[in-house]
Amino acid sequence: MAELLGTSKESFIASVRQSLGRTGGEPDERYAPLQEDLSSLEERASNTLERLKKDRGRLVEELARVAELQGWKVCQAANSEATLDYIRELLQETKAKRVVRSDQEIFRQVPVDELLEGMGAQVQVMAREQSGDGEFDPASAELGITGVDYAIAETGTAVLLPRKGISRLVSLLPPVHLALVRPTEVLESLDDLYLLRRLEYHRNGGDMGSYMNFITGPSRTADIEQTLVIGAHGPRETHMVILAQE
Amino acid sequence: MAEVKTQEFQRASVKALADAKLQSLLGRSMGTFDGARQEAIEELTPQRWEEMREKGRAIKRHTLDNLDYYLELLYDRVTQNGGQVHFARDAQEARNIVGQIARSRGLKLAIKSKSMVSEEMSLNPYLEEMGVEPVETDLGEYIIQLAQETPFHIIAPAMHKTKEDVSQLFEEKIQRPNLKNIEEMAGAAREVLREKLVNADMGITGANFLVAETGTLVLVTNEGNGRFCTSVPRVLVSITGMEKLIPSLEDLGVFMRLLPRAATGQRITSYVTHVSGPRRSDDEDGPEEFHLVIVDNGRSRLLQDPDLRESLYCIRCGACLNICPVYHKVGGHAYGWVYPGPIGAVVSPVMVGLNKAKDLPHASSLCGACRDVCPIKINIPRMLLKLRTQLAESSDSTQRKVSIGEKLMAKGYRRLMSSPKLLSLTHRLGRLAQRPLLRKGLIRTIPFPPFSRWTRSRDLPPLASKPFRQIWAEKLGKER
Ligand code: SF4
Repeated sequence: MAELLGTSKESFIASVRQSLGRTGGEPDERYAPLQEDLSSLEERASNTLERLKKDRGRLVEELARVAELQGWKVCQAANSEATLDYIRELLQETKAKRVVRSDQEIFRQVPVDELLEGMGAQVQVMAREQSGDGEFDPASAELGITGVDYAIAETGTAVLLPRKGISRLVSLLPPVHLALVRPTEVLESLDDLYLLRRLEYHRNGGDMGSYMNFITGPSRTADIEQTLVIGAHGPRETHMVILAQE
Repeated sequence: MAEVKTQEFQRASVKALADAKLQSLLGRSMGTFDGARQEAIEELTPQRWEEMREKGRAIKRHTLDNLDYYLELLYDRVTQNGGQVHFARDAQEARNIVGQIARSRGLKLAIKSKSMVSEEMSLNPYLEEMGVEPVETDLGEYIIQLAQETPFHIIAPAMHKTKEDVSQLFEEKIQRPNLKNIEEMAGAAREVLREKLVNADMGITGANFLVAETGTLVLVTNEGNGRFCTSVPRVLVSITGMEKLIPSLEDLGVFMRLLPRAATGQRITSYVTHVSGPRRSDDEDGPEEFHLVIVDNGRSRLLQDPDLRESLYCIRCGACLNICPVYHKVGGHAYGWVYPGPIGAVVSPVMVGLNKAKDLPHASSLCGACRDVCPIKINIPRMLLKLRTQLAESSDSTQRKVSIGEKLMAKGYRRLMSSPKLLSLTHRLGRLAQRPLLRKGLIRTIPFPPFSRWTRSRDLPPLASKPFRQIWAEKLGKER
């Protein structure tokens, strides 16, 4: 369905071309990054993954340090018990009765449902194929739990990508968000992330999914008298549990 | 197009200077911004910062020099992602496009995340007229919308409002009386807006970057409203100037380090949202339709002039506003159009017409601070000079800024400075003439034109009792 609204592409671009005094075709100087072929991208990506693997211990520490600076409450869990303990305490502290989570692989590793339901909270998977006993409006949830696709040590950022079973709203609607991070998901820098996503795009024949969200700490605003207020439209409290190395 | 009041710069700035409340607000807040920016650069290390600036500038230069190529690429890739791209030559056309999308799909409630281009288009009144309710969801923009004003600053649109102003506004417009502290106000706005955010059928956003290679739109926000706008409504319309392009996804690594640091002194903002088209069939949620509206609206005039093209490298961080001594005094509204401050003084005249904005290129002391702080090293002073030259040399008398009198003065000055004898004679005469004008060591007013106007808002230091040439001859020169 291509509706023509406004100026046609041809005439718009022709006038830009005229403004530039260009005759069309390839850029004047060839721009190296766009000339790179798939095999070179793959090579760079595999080098990156190698490096990340070697540095994992250090990167996990760095992620924890920076994430804390960025406003996350960070827990580096020593083992799976410690992860569950943290979640238990979080539920007690927030007194959350309604919890939403996404449907991700990580929840097979971290059995949050049993834990939370055992404590009397309702858990609802926010996905078309719903599960859990939760018959409540997700908008009224007090806690949202997600895994991440990546976490970036440089910026203390959790990266979420769309997949089946992952609603964009789990990390956005509830006032408290908990992100579970596996050490293998930790990247060093923004550059690592963009390289891997770019590879994904070209590997898939030109698709990397509909969105990619960076979450770095709680939502905030300083729009009135430049006074920082934590908790604008998104969560006011964000927790990151970095699971123990397997 | 948004109402153009650039002609009134002089009047508006005199008014701003006399506004004690505004002056105290500006005095209090302008320093904070730049302090945060400097700290963030220290943390990254100044060397790394310089490296990023050079890279960012080179990428922007390359993209703008080959913009036709990258627009074509972006079009293909957004289309491939399942989105639709529309092109608008001017504000009117851009409004029509957004209007037609809303009308043909029967959309009623539009949540908006900050978009300067939608300010250029005066989109909100247009939507209201056709029965679509536009709601600004960035707190600053929301305040401005309630007050029916225009943004005061690129990234802090409501910075001219005190908390008392906001409290009163919320009482009158959203029936939330007696809000005392800022947290309560933000809370009230959150409550009112939450209902809109979850019920809207149309999302409208701007863009911080457009990645040609992958057809990706990037939004940088702190509040989370941008995420709502791109997740909840069934139709997403993003409106952007055509200069927002960058070639590769990997270029974002550079700009993500530059923008948050220059804008708010953050390592990164709370949210960065990358949108590559509408939801796919497997996605749990997200917009069914994604429209990208690419707007020219005078930008090709900037593109066309090799001397002004670099103004389009701007990533709208606001750092040049925060450092500018003129902006510090007159604030954002005096500039009279969507883009204030040093960068506004370059782009507004070209976008609205130079003859309507003759004062703007002169609203600068050419101190160069804007260029020094700019994350893309945009040479704003050079462009301001270029516009001044254009004004001075224009054959069209409605454009010409320089009067015959000024031309004569310039001639006289040249003569004076090239003759040492004449200079020293004038100096001696001047010292005599200034005597009756001195008040507490300064010349406060000169009672005859053209000087009377000049001294209306300025004090003039008197001529020194000994000219430098004499001091040099008697003393300094001998000490060498
Ligand atoms: S000109 Fe430079 S400093 Fe000013 S807003 Fe644009 S990018 Fe920022």
